[in-house]
Amino acid sequence: MPHRHYMTALRLDESEIQTRRSYFELGDDDLARLRTLHGLAEKHTDEFIERFYEHLLRSASTRKFFPDDATIVRVKRAQRQYFLQLFEGRCDREYVQQRVAVGVAHEHVGLAPTWYLGAYRKYLALLQVRLFDDLPAAEAQAAFLSVQKIVFFDMTLALDTYIAAHQETLARHQAALRELSTPVIRVHDGVLLLPLVGAIDSARAQQVMDTVLLRVAEEKAKCIIVDIAGVPVVDTKVADSLVKTTASVRLLGAHTILTGISAQVARTIVHLGVDVSTMHTRARLQEGIELALDLVGKRIAPVRAKRSSGE
Amino acid sequence: MNVEPDAVESLSRREMPIGSEDDVVVVRRAVRALAQKRGFNAFASAALTTATSELTRNVWVHARKGIAILEEVADGGRIGVRVTFEDEGPGIVDLERALAGGFSTARTMGLGLSGSRRLVDAFRIDSAVGRGTTVEIVKWKEP
Amino acid sequence: MTIHGVIPILRMGDILLTTVHIELHDAVAEGFQADVLTAIEQRRARGLIVDISGLDVVDSYVARILAETGRMALLMGTQTVLVGMRPEVAATLVRMGYRMEGVYAALDLDEGLALLRRLGRR
Ligand SMILES: Nc1ncnc2c1ncn2[C@@H]1O[C@H](COP(=O)(O)OP(=O)(O)O)[C@@H](O)[C@H]1O
Ligand SMILES: [Mg+2]
Repeated sequence: MPHRHYMTALRLDESEIQTRRSYFELGDDDLARLRTLHGLAEKHTDEFIERFYEHLLRSASTRKFFPDDATIVRVKRAQRQYFLQLFEGRCDREYVQQRVAVGVAHEHVGLAPTWYLGAYRKYLALLQVRLFDDLPAAEAQAAFLSVQKIVFFDMTLALDTYIAAHQETLARHQAALRELSTPVIRVHDGVLLLPLVGAIDSARAQQVMDTVLLRVAEEKAKCIIVDIAGVPVVDTKVADSLVKTTASVRLLGAHTILTGISAQVARTIVHLGVDVSTMHTRARLQEGIELALDLVGKRIAPVRAKRSSGE
Repeated sequence: MNVEPDAVESLSRREMPIGSEDDVVVVRRAVRALAQKRGFNAFASAALTTATSELTRNVWVHARKGIAILEEVADGGRIGVRVTFEDEGPGIVDLERALAGGFSTARTMGLGLSGSRRLVDAFRIDSAVGRGTTVEIVKWKEP
Repeated sequence: MTIHGVIPILRMGDILLTTVHIELHDAVAEGFQADVLTAIEQRRARGLIVDISGLDVVDSYVARILAETGRMALLMGTQTVLVGMRPEVAATLVRMGYRMEGVYAALDLDEGLALLRRLGRR
C-alpha cells in the first residue's frame, strides 16, 4: 500500500491533520456547509468533467496521458469522484489517504503538479460561477470560501506526497546508478574482476565493499581483482576503504588483488600504516590477472605453433 | 505541518530491560526484527544489530542493569531505527579514551564503543561518573 | 556458569569439525572454547574447522572467542579455519576495526578442508 507508506513518512496522523485543518481554518461548519452543497455540486461536476476532457483531448501534449477510451472512462469517473468527495464534508484519515493516493499516482505516471493544479483552478472557476447563479449572493460567497479551504487543504496533501514520492524516485535512481558503477565481471572460474572508473565518495566506497563481498560469496570466488586505474583521486578515505575491502574479503576466505596502483596511491596506502605484506597489489591489470590465475592454479601460456603439417 | 523538516520523529517506541546476559541476545533480536520490517539490507541490518549487541553488553558488563529503547524514526521521508541505551551505572571516567578504541576496564577488546560508532549513522553518548551512561544510535535505511 | 556440549564437535580423520549454529553468549561461548581445546588435546587433531555460516551477528565478544580459540589451538599445533562467514558479518567486523588474527578463513567446508591439506604439506 504505497499511500500507507506516505501517511507514515509524512507523519499524517490525527494531530497533524488537525494542525493542517486549523491552518487552513477548515472548521466543522465548513464541512457541514459542504455537505449541503453535494446535490448541486454533482450536477455541475458532470458538466465540468465533460467540458474539461474535451479540452484535454484537444491538445496533443495532454492527449498522450489517455491512450484509449477505457482509460478516459476510468479517469473521468475517478476525477468526478475526487471532486465530489470534497462535498462529503469529512476530513478524516480515510479522506486524507485518498488525497495522498492521488499524489502518489501522479508522480508514478509522471504527471507534473501543473496539470493537477490547472484542472483544479478550472473546476473552481466553473464552480464559482454556478454557485452564484444558483444561490443568493451571501450564501454563494460562504459556500465558495468553504470550497476554497478544503481545496487548498487537498492541494498541499497531493503536493507534499508528490514531492516525497519524487525524492524516493530520485534516490532509487541514484542507487541504481551506484549499482551500475560496480560492475563485477567473472573472468575465469573463481576469479572476479571489478574495474572501478570515476570518482569514489564514501557512499560509493561502501557500496563497492558490500558488492565485492556479496559477489565473492555468491560466486564462491577465490580472488577478486579490483582495478583502480580509472579512479582519478585516491585519497586516504578511498585507500582506507580499499584496505578494508581487502581485509573483509580475506575473512570470507578469498584474496583481493589491487591493480592500477600509481606511485601516489602506493604512498597513500603506506602512510595509512597498513601492513602491505598481507596485500596483493600490482601496477597493471595484466599482471593482476596473471597473479589471480596463479592463485587458482592456472597459467596463461603461449599456444605452441602447429604450423608444419608433418607434426 | 511539520515546520522543522529535519526533526526526527518517533513512529513507534518499545522499552526493553537489560538485566542479564541473555538480554544481549533478546534486545539485538528485537532490533534485527525492526530493521527487517523496515526493509534494511543485510549489511545495514548487521551493522545496527552488531552495534546493539555491543552496547547492550556494555550495559550488562559495566553497569549490570539498564534499559534499551527501540524506536522506528522518520525524518523528512527517510526511515530509520534508533536505539537508546540507558543505565545508572558507574559512568565513564575518561570518555575520550573509551571512544578512541582499544581501551577497556574489563580487559576485553575495547572495541564496543569505537566499533559501534563506526557502524551507525548517528552516535551520541552522555556519561557522568557515578550517575550513569546514555548512548543513542541511529541507522537510516538506504534508499 | 559454563555450559558444555551444546555445540557438537565431529571428527573426520585428524580434523575436527564444528558448526556454530546458535547464538553464542558467555556461558555457551566459554563452554565451546573449553570443549574444542579438550577435543584437540584428546584427539591430537591437526586441523580445526569452525563453520559459522549460521551466525548472522558476530560482535567483538564472539569474534574474540573465535579468534582466541584459534590462537590457543595453534599453540597446541592445530590450525584453525573459519568457514562460511557471511558477507555482512565480514563487512561489520572489518568496519568495527576488528582483526581476526591467528585464524584462516575459507568460503565453505570443502575449501576449508583443501586449505588444511595445503597447510599440512608445508
Ligand atoms: N555503560 C557503561 N557504563 C560504564 N562504563 C562503560 C559503559 N560502556 C563502556 N564503558 C567503559 O568504556 C570502556 C570501553 O568500552 P568498550 O569500547 O565497549 O570496550 P569493552 O566493553 O570491551 O571494555 C569500558 O571498558 C568501560 O570502562
Ligand atoms: Mg564493550
